Amino acid sequence: MPLANTPTSVPVVVDDEKCIADKGCTVCVDVCPLDVLRISDLTGKAYMKYDECWYCMPCEADCPTDAVTVNIPYLLR
Amino acid sequence: MVFEPFEDESDFELLADKLGEDDPAVRRVAVMDLADTADPEAIPLIASTVKDESPEVRLQAAIALGEFDGLATATALCLLLQDTDNRVIQAATDSLSELKDPASAEPMLDLTSHDNAKVREGALLGLKQLRRPDAMANGIEAMKDPVPAVRIQAVGVVGYLKAEEALPALIASCKDADPEVRRTAVGALAFSRSSHAKDALLVALADEHWAVREIAAEVLGKHSEGLDGQKLMPLLDDPYWQVRVKAVRSLGKLRVVEAVDKIGSQLDEVTSNLRKEAAAALGEIAEKSALPYLEKLVDDPDPDVRKNVRWALGRIG
Repeated sequence: MPLANTPTSVPVVVDDEKCIADKGCTVCVDVCPLDVLRISDLTGKAYMKYDECWYCMPCEADCPTDAVTVNIPYLLR
Repeated sequence: MVFEPFEDESDFELLADKLGEDDPAVRRVAVMDLADTADPEAIPLIASTVKDESPEVRLQAAIALGEFDGLATATALCLLLQDTDNRVIQAATDSLSELKDPASAEPMLDLTSHDNAKVREGALLGLKQLRRPDAMANGIEAMKDPVPAVRIQAVGVVGYLKAEEALPALIASCKDADPEVRRTAVGALAFSRSSHAKDALLVALADEHWAVREIAAEVLGKHSEGLDGQKLMPLLDDPYWQVRVKAVRSLGKLRVVEAVDKIGSQLDEVTSNLRKEAAAALGEIAEKSALPYLEKLVDDPDPDVRKNVRWALGRIG
């Protein structure tokens, strides 16, 4: 899978202000069927490591702090 | 804060320590981890957070307790149901509705006359699924509640018990001022085969709200004994197709031969679901006079309609 080089333009965007991965939360990482999310060693926040997404939405739906947004392409909406 | 790898989720002592941390986000994650253990040992630890100062932690506790069952879970959820934060109340209501252990009912029975309507509603919703006969008195009392949402849940509690002695209260609710209460009460009469229930259902066929007429038409289809099915026929002229669908289905189940022509006229409807049900009903009645109506629809654009038409034609022969 291609690495996501530009975190702001990938489908899954995480709001670092809301993300509580640095407190031990791994919900989005655990629910992703493609295993493309990771917790950053630097910031402790979740981010999209691989630019691949099925737009299945559990990461957004299950995030306890509403930190995850999945940007669904216009043609898939 | 430096990111630290996760500890073993089954380490209750460590999670209990985390529940005492100053940072509410750490406490919240600890509650989530406790839920993930799915171990009943986690219940008292999660329950210890129901008075947490952070609404986010209490919200997580209400969600987490949905993974468990039993009296201790219900007791904690009932405390959360009386929370000041509406999100916590909603999450506690959702989790209470998931409980299956009849012993969970005890703390809920005390809340059906609580001052807060949301609490009464949540307690009754939880009680509904548990089907405890001793909840009937609470349910019948709550059917007189000033708040319609509470009355709806109360009707659910009583209706789920399927007890003939609750019929007078359910029949009274069929005349409630709120259409959703009436709809729930009419649906709840499905279990009874008594003439009183049947009479109430026939009255509901003329209700001013279409959803009440719809459910009455559906329920009457299950009353095959001693019912004059022709009383459903006026509903075939109802302005709502949803009502006509249920009426057609019930007329088919009751095999009302006199309705063949009126059901046949439904085959010209734009709504394909109605044409499908009409074809099935004509097959159920299996009268030769239905053949001309059915033959017109052999090439209907909807495959479900064509399937039912062929099935019906096969039955009539």
